[in-house]
Amino acid sequence: MLLPLLALFALPAAIFAAKESTHDSLVKLAAQSGGIIKLNAQTYDLLTSPTRDWSASIQFTALDKRRRCSPCREFDPAWTAVAKAWSTVPKETRDNHFFATLDFDDGTTVFQKLGLQSAPVVLIFHPSEGSRRSANAQTPTTYDFSSGFDAEPLAEQLSSFTPIPIPYRAPVNWALWGTVGTLALVFGLTIRFLAPIFRSRWTWAALTTIISLVMTSGYMFTRIRGTPMTAADGSWIAPGFQNQYGQETTVVASIYGLLSASFLMLTLVAPLQSGSPNRQRTQIYLWSGVIMLLFSVLVSLFRVKNRGYPFKLIL
Amino acid sequence: MPRAYPLPTDLSPATVTNTKSLVRIVAFALISGAAIASRLFAVINFESIIHEFDPWFNYRATRVLASKGFYEFWNWFDPTAWYPLGRVVGGTIYPGLMATSGVIYNFLQAIHIPVDIRNICVMLAPGFSALTAWSTYMFTKEMKDESAGLLAAAFIGIVPGYISRSVAGSYDNEAIAIFLLMFTFFLWIKALKQGSALFGTLAAVFYFYMVAAWGGYAFITNMIPLHALALLLMGRFTNRLYVAYSSWYAIGTLASMQVPFVGFQPVRTSEHMGALGVFGLLQIVAFVQLVRSHVSSKQFNNLLFALAVGAGVVGTVAIVGLTYMGWIAPWTGRFYSLWDTGYAKKYIPIIASVSEHQPTAWPSFFMDLHFLIFLFPAGVVLCFRELRDEHIFVIIYALVGSYFAGVMVRLMLTLTPVVCISAAIALSTVLDTYIDPSEPDLPVPEADETSGPSETTTDAPKKTKKDKTAPPPTSSGASVTELLSGMVVTPPSTSKKGAAKEKKTGIFGTDTRLAVILNAIGMLMFFVVHCTWVTSNAYSSPSVVLASHNADGLQLIDDFREAYYWLRQNTPETAVVMSWWDYGYQIAGMADRPTLVDNNTWNNTHIATVGKAMSSSEEVAYPILRKHDVDYVLVIFGGLIGYSGDDINKFLWMVRIAQGVWPDEIQEPKYFTPSGDYRVDEQASPAMRNSLMYKMSYYRFHELFGGGQATDRVRNQVMPKTGPTLDYLEEAFTSENWIVRIYQVKKEDPLGRDLKTANAFDQGKKRKRTRPPVRRRSAA
Amino acid sequence: MAGPKATAPVKGTSSSTSSSSSPSAVQTLWKAYLDHTAPRLKFIDSFLTFLVLSGVLQFVYCVLVTSFPFNAFLSGFASTVGQFVLTASLRSQVNSENRTLFKDVSPERAFADFVIGSVVLHFFVFNFLG
Repeated sequence: MLLPLLALFALPAAIFAAKESTHDSLVKLAAQSGGIIKLNAQTYDLLTSPTRDWSASIQFTALDKRRRCSPCREFDPAWTAVAKAWSTVPKETRDNHFFATLDFDDGTTVFQKLGLQSAPVVLIFHPSEGSRRSANAQTPTTYDFSSGFDAEPLAEQLSSFTPIPIPYRAPVNWALWGTVGTLALVFGLTIRFLAPIFRSRWTWAALTTIISLVMTSGYMFTRIRGTPMTAADGSWIAPGFQNQYGQETTVVASIYGLLSASFLMLTLVAPLQSGSPNRQRTQIYLWSGVIMLLFSVLVSLFRVKNRGYPFKLIL
Repeated sequence: MPRAYPLPTDLSPATVTNTKSLVRIVAFALISGAAIASRLFAVINFESIIHEFDPWFNYRATRVLASKGFYEFWNWFDPTAWYPLGRVVGGTIYPGLMATSGVIYNFLQAIHIPVDIRNICVMLAPGFSALTAWSTYMFTKEMKDESAGLLAAAFIGIVPGYISRSVAGSYDNEAIAIFLLMFTFFLWIKALKQGSALFGTLAAVFYFYMVAAWGGYAFITNMIPLHALALLLMGRFTNRLYVAYSSWYAIGTLASMQVPFVGFQPVRTSEHMGALGVFGLLQIVAFVQLVRSHVSSKQFNNLLFALAVGAGVVGTVAIVGLTYMGWIAPWTGRFYSLWDTGYAKKYIPIIASVSEHQPTAWPSFFMDLHFLIFLFPAGVVLCFRELRDEHIFVIIYALVGSYFAGVMVRLMLTLTPVVCISAAIALSTVLDTYIDPSEPDLPVPEADETSGPSETTTDAPKKTKKDKTAPPPTSSGASVTELLSGMVVTPPSTSKKGAAKEKKTGIFGTDTRLAVILNAIGMLMFFVVHCTWVTSNAYSSPSVVLASHNADGLQLIDDFREAYYWLRQNTPETAVVMSWWDYGYQIAGMADRPTLVDNNTWNNTHIATVGKAMSSSEEVAYPILRKHDVDYVLVIFGGLIGYSGDDINKFLWMVRIAQGVWPDEIQEPKYFTPSGDYRVDEQASPAMRNSLMYKMSYYRFHELFGGGQATDRVRNQVMPKTGPTLDYLEEAFTSENWIVRIYQVKKEDPLGRDLKTANAFDQGKKRKRTRPPVRRRSAA
Repeated sequence: MAGPKATAPVKGTSSSTSSSSSPSAVQTLWKAYLDHTAPRLKFIDSFLTFLVLSGVLQFVYCVLVTSFPFNAFLSGFASTVGQFVLTASLRSQVNSENRTLFKDVSPERAFADFVIGSVVLHFFVFNFLG
């Protein structure tokens, strides 16, 4: 009589032991592969079992070369870096959140089940019980790649789902510091020779002119939006008024520069040719012709961008 | 000396001066007329109304000022904006614009010319543009001479870059701010040139006016110290610089703190620390100069130099340290995003979403500035030739202006004045060289002749007229040389080392002169035609009223006003309207109803709440709507007529902003299809299809097509056969072209059901029984 | 803040430095100053010293005691700084050694500028005192 009762008491202990072992086995798996669990279909089910008091961030990727997923390979280092930062957290907090990777080849069925059609995808599963339990335990949160594949935004956004913020620190850019240091040293040593160049106003004039030409040809646009030099099919004029390719910046800046230079030639250089009137005359006609021609080119370029523009010069 | 063309020889200097003045005044009158006239396209085509969004708030504030007086306006708390939070208007605006209109209004009332406040507000910008032209003239006159000044005034009068923000009806801060900018800069240059504390004080007073008028005053706050610092670094410190800068800074900073919106910022934020630092540096340098004049001991000199440098370093460290400790606020997001261009998109999506904050592509530069954009570098190089103190200012302005204009479309406006000035300097120099009639002597060894000075008595050609020059008389050679030597510009001889004292320079022949001058006139005429075309086509749309060109002529689309006036006349006065923040000011101005969020965008969480309501399903949104007492919801939908500025196109920004505050409830990827497209047809994701915004936009849309395919003309997608249904809202009003749709929020069901069930009941669906019916047995 | 920097220069001269020749250099400076400066300029200089002391006093009070009505502190401090600057400008403009620098500003005009500047400054100060 007593034995079945004892067995009854043993039941919850057994269940408890069984549940404990899921969490424990996950911890062991994480410890095996340096902080990131390498999942397959079974371990995935373990990790995302419906009753869990841990949370998990899972990366669904396809790193095999045959899959030709270059974004996956681009993103993987950032993922590894953030997971590594998490593994430095003290054990008690660390074991409440797991980082895992599921490769397409290891768990095709899981991909099918979740209906994932692209990679990489990061899903964050919330705990269904325990102190951090969440109402959306059944629906995982998807990480939004709008900030790109960098590690810092990843760490920042995942930190809102981990028990404590992920202590991710961006690695020191030694290459950058090294270059800066060497340049400063070289500059300091050669300052005596370089000083006259910096004192001359025409250095500054050249610098100012180049900077204003570059800025007014829309260089910052191509830099901020990251537009390519030319389109894939070779056309270098971007369609649309508020759009441009890198090549356009160069072309437009050179046109502006040549036009300014022609005006300066007319103003400064031509009057100096008082040696021979004919040479001066040729020069003046030459530069005036250059101005008219380049201005027409500019206007026709503008017409391509702005279809409704009704005016044209020579061309 | 030989001349290319004959000149009248019997004019006295007095006649010449008088003619010059007369021609200048006439030119000014014409420039002002042109400036005002070219800004009136919108008024003539449509009517005299306030344009866009922000001006509606300024107009409302001005109405309060005009009707209730300055004290009420200063202490105005508006409970109908940002319901239920309200807005302390007196402390959160730049009152300069409203105060100006108020003063003009009261003045006109006092002299018994009653002009309606709306007309004053509409016509303020063109009036001040004439003043801007005048102040640009004064500024360029200090740089070069009057003829360059007139050219610059003509340019800035009609250039599209400035017109875009100052058409009649665009009642925004920039309308008076650009005038104040140019005038403050002119006063600063004048103070610097003369070393006068009077001009420094005047510069400070107008700086105060500018601070009261526009948030872009930080540009002046950093340009003038930058100029002073550049002069210091170039070794051009003089007592004049000290007098001008110190008087401007001391009075100007104190004055700028009088504006409540600015408050203590000038001593607490990083944007103003540059001015403070330069102020301190100037004190040190001035003191060192003073002491040095008394003592000649070299050791003491070195010591003092070390002391000065040490004090400078201590000061810098103090400022940086205070910034780190938090006593001095770091650069605010709006200005920081100009340096770190990726910052806004990541951290402050509201700033990144404004279309004016996008970077500028080159067609915008060309369209707004036309041929000035390539004369501009030439003008800057010519400034380098002269390199007086004031030219350094233009150079710095040019550099800083081009960078900022490249980063943000809106800042094209600050680049425009310096482009006009530089281009005027360049063109004026060209014209001076080629209009000057004196030819150099043909090369004869050891011949002495005067250099070919540039004449400064030319007036720039105005539009299609070309005025004859009035050169000084040749009656006495001495007076000619005296007159000319005063105005001589001898760049070649000063910039080349070891060259001959007087070089023979000049242009031979009339044909060359004609070629260049005709070319210049042609370009100027093209400029005028271009500016007029751009103004009438691109920048004269009130954006409250739209115009479309059909086969049968011009069709006016007045949906906005139709809807706002429906609201005004058919809803109770305290009805709260929820819409996206773009339309808040217009709703407040035209419909006169409380709004939840408006263009002030000061409370990100409140905006995110509205975004969440718009992007969630009805069940989730309804409690939010009821909690905020919302009676009406307003959406803009352009799918019927192809208006692409509608809310469905802005929807992703609503989602992003809401996601910033509730990342676990709203996720942007859910609104895309699994393949990552943004679709509204049958492939739309469930989150998209159930969102309040989608339902409100497409409710009953398919009924318009009478059974055929309903097409959204903006997204170019075919809508599903059955449209969305609404349980918690009901349609109250849809404007003629379906652009504005207003929905009324239903109150809770009086029987306590949830509204979905109540609706289903109304439609005749019975609730499924969960228990079998009780069978009654009749008593036998 | 502007306070220490604006006052440091004046105080700097009277503090001794580490160089061995500096005590005599300071004394030389002081003697040269007394001998070569016109009485008019010395009068202005005494006013400047007063302004500096007043500003330092206000700043010390703000740091040590309280900055509570911050606008009052700012307006008082700004009035000393502004007046100091205007007076220093007046001094440099009436200094006969600087005649060549200030071609457009005669000493009379300098004084008129000084008066206008001070009036405008104190108008703002009074408005801001609160």
